Amino acid sequence: MSGQKSHEANPAMTRAINSDMNRFFHRGPTILCIVLALCSVTILINDLWPFLQNGAGMNVIFHPDETDFDQILFHFSTLPRITMAFICGAGLALAGAAIQTVLRNPLASPTTLGVGAGVEFALTVFLLLAPAALAPFKEAAALAGGMIALGAVYLIASRRANATLWLILAGMIINLMLQSGTQIFLLFNEQYLQSVFMWGAGDLAQNGWDSTQFVLPRLLVGVAVVLLLSRPLDLLALGDDTASSLGARVTILRLLILGFAVFITASVISAAGLIGFIGLAVPAALRIAGLTRSRDLMIYSLLTGGFALLCIDFLVRQMNGLGGDIVPTGAATALIGAPFIILILRKARIMPGQQSEDHHPDQQIVSKNVLSLVLVFGLVTGLGLSLFVSFNGHDFVLLTGGESFHDILLQRSERTFAAIICGAALAVSGTLIQRVGRNPLASPEITGVSSATALAMIIALVFFGFGQRADLMFVGAVGGIISLIILLLLCRKFTHTPHYLLLNGLALTAILGAIVRIALTRSGTQTSMLISWLAGTTYFTRMDEVLIVAGVTVALLIVVIAARRPLELASFGNDQATSLGLGISGFQFFIMLLAAILAASATLLVGPLSFVGLMAPHLARIAGYRLAGGHLLGAVLIGANVMMVAEWMARNLLYPQQLPTGLIAALIGTTYFLFLAIRKR
Amino acid sequence: MIRHLFLRLFVIAGLTAALTPQMAHADPITIEHEHGTLKLDAPAKRIAVTNWATTETVIALGLDPVAIADPNDYLDWVAKPDLPENFTDIGQRAAPNMEALRAAKPDLIVISKNLEMAYDNFNAIAPTIVLSVYNNNRDALPEAQKLLKTLAKATDRQAEAKAWLDDADVKFAEYGDRVRAAMPPGHALAITQFVSESHIGLYGKSSLPGTVLAKMDLPLAYQGPVNNWGFAKGGVEILGPRAQDTLVYLNPVPDVIREKVWASPVWKILDFVKNDRVYELPVVWAYGGMPSALRFARLLAESMESGPVK
Repeated sequence: MSGQKSHEANPAMTRAINSDMNRFFHRGPTILCIVLALCSVTILINDLWPFLQNGAGMNVIFHPDETDFDQILFHFSTLPRITMAFICGAGLALAGAAIQTVLRNPLASPTTLGVGAGVEFALTVFLLLAPAALAPFKEAAALAGGMIALGAVYLIASRRANATLWLILAGMIINLMLQSGTQIFLLFNEQYLQSVFMWGAGDLAQNGWDSTQFVLPRLLVGVAVVLLLSRPLDLLALGDDTASSLGARVTILRLLILGFAVFITASVISAAGLIGFIGLAVPAALRIAGLTRSRDLMIYSLLTGGFALLCIDFLVRQMNGLGGDIVPTGAATALIGAPFIILILRKARIMPGQQSEDHHPDQQIVSKNVLSLVLVFGLVTGLGLSLFVSFNGHDFVLLTGGESFHDILLQRSERTFAAIICGAALAVSGTLIQRVGRNPLASPEITGVSSATALAMIIALVFFGFGQRADLMFVGAVGGIISLIILLLLCRKFTHTPHYLLLNGLALTAILGAIVRIALTRSGTQTSMLISWLAGTTYFTRMDEVLIVAGVTVALLIVVIAARRPLELASFGNDQATSLGLGISGFQFFIMLLAAILAASATLLVGPLSFVGLMAPHLARIAGYRLAGGHLLGAVLIGANVMMVAEWMARNLLYPQQLPTGLIAALIGTTYFLFLAIRKR
Repeated sequence: MIRHLFLRLFVIAGLTAALTPQMAHADPITIEHEHGTLKLDAPAKRIAVTNWATTETVIALGLDPVAIADPNDYLDWVAKPDLPENFTDIGQRAAPNMEALRAAKPDLIVISKNLEMAYDNFNAIAPTIVLSVYNNNRDALPEAQKLLKTLAKATDRQAEAKAWLDDADVKFAEYGDRVRAAMPPGHALAITQFVSESHIGLYGKSSLPGTVLAKMDLPLAYQGPVNNWGFAKGGVEILGPRAQDTLVYLNPVPDVIREKVWASPVWKILDFVKNDRVYELPVVWAYGGMPSALRFARLLAESMESGPVK
């Protein structure tokens, strides 16, 4: 514990990296960079080879023969694509390095902190809603989207004891929220789906130099500014105290650097779409390889990132055309990059041990008794209302009878109960994870089990054409179990099991995101169904499934309520619990296992996203349900209520159109967290 | 009470139907579909449709569907045949609203395999059949024909269907001749749809445009690998090997995308662009049924005769 503490106390994050790597100071990064550069040169020569053979090598680069299609194609498609790959990779890696250094967080990056999702959301809304006259402000909108997202993340995470982890979790929340928002817009603007997906998946296909001309000058400005500021950045890396004692205007400097990092990211994403993980993996890998000074890190990141994306894009280009479809570069990069998180976790000991002090920084916003009453009352009346009252676009309609009274009631209750059970299961799961993980921002979504379950179902649906619900449920369950085993293996050696579970979950979620993007670009007319399913819909749910999941939830709830005393102790932290004679690791693991099973069941029923598992336990805790048993029950009540409301809104808000329940729940959940964050100021 | 009344009405209606001489079907109609076999006691009259291929096919048979999904987008993407005056909007194709569907009181619901997971829920509202034209690695035109014939059987309009198909055969041949007459000999047609400013979809052999061209005895330029919906997707450069052919693109294309593609150097260098062999078709649904197939053929002939895009 004390050893872990010193890592947190030591503000120079870079020193927290394994010190034995320092022997290879600069050698590792140089080798990495040179190898990638050599690969890039080889790729360039490979692409140029046909022209070199007939002596047109120089021509094709500078003055292509206007009558030769191959030359034109190379000059206006291949060459700009290679250039764009380098520029985008370089820009994102540099932005990542800057953000990581400023925030002193090796897991920070444009994608993990929601900047990418913010830019994407802003651009999607702009594309769909803005009148043509506003076109010149597109870039400003993108920049604003990125800044606001980053601001929100920072707002949620700031002034927390364990800012490193909070920042990543907050990033995840904002990411999920913005993605939900983007999806709602897309669901009702289907004609743009394919185009937005191609861009959103980060495909680098070019048919001219326009994009290059757009990104390059912006990148140069961004790089120049960030590099100019990199001297003070080294001071920043020493921590606020040291830096301010050295006279640097810390806050302004930080904001400037972050601003320009976001500017670079927004420019790249505007032109090329979301390219994940270069900004995270490259600087982190370089740091693991031994780079410590920020100026060096930036320059190396710039080059390595550029070369790396160029190489990845080459591989992607080779895969294109096979089977008549495209693998978008951005999604492929995320797929390759996500495992890096796991690597980074292993190399950099970033998880400190101090969480217990973060017990209740939030004020109580509602009293426990009032809330309990409201919740029970809400559940009962809400149930009646959602079963018997609907909205048909003009009026509220009361279901009183009629020939198909029973059938309508049955179908409504199927969906309503599915939502309620799902809310309850996620609430229990979230409570367990937040208690054992001792982190009020942890949630079932980020164990990765939900993601893996959904991932398996999507792959089966889109790539293998499974169409039967029972088959999909089976595949999903298998996916969930496999991911559990993987998590088990990954976390075997770690002392801080809960945190590593969460962060490995982050990697899994990122992989899910990447595969979903690939699936969406190739799902043809099935796209909107996939979106609503991913966002969480009760549309396909059946009563027998609801009953099974209800059974599992109730059984596990009874188990954890029986185990509430050890759970209470586990919430205090290792020292106290171990001194009380509890084998904490095994117990923690058991609880995490239960949480994962519940999350997977809820995913099977409704879909992977909802935020209820995050929001319900959090609200229950700050409402005063502090003891484990009460906390669980309070969370269950809140979770069930929220999902019930979300389900009714999803069915009736835009009648006859139906929104995915998960999207509504996600919007309720994130609004709640933003509200908390603002209220805290 | 009300229920009994309906029941009685139903019985009376059934008896009348059975006794009317034009109803030769004393036997139930048996329909084989992708989710088993369905027996209908009487021909379906109130059909609910959940995708546009079915929508237009039912309309082509001379019946007005009582419930239609995504009717507004239909106008943008399918355009013709016109939708009936009165019908119930049942929301998105991906998730038709069950309560709206029930309120429309259909006697037959047609879904594609995209919605098969909810089969039991549909079937609880009215007898449901699963018929898919796409996403099954089969040729689109024969599947569209099968859809028309199956729906004709379910509605007891086989005679109309046969007349429609015979007429279509003649027209396909006629449009084929017209295209051949308007097109330089030895050219193949590359049928495309713009996906984004730098991506294009190229319809292959199994797609609706591809199979219609085969029916019209016209050469299709792209014969390569395709995805489940019968097209290949890629950068504009995938048109390179097809540059000597004639290019036809389908609408709708957002203006932004069209302008960007037209301004790009790679597009400008393509042989069919330089030599004015790019043709535009008005809105036509490339994932439709027989009416869209015939509409595609007609629009192609008309477009070829009125000349290339300048």
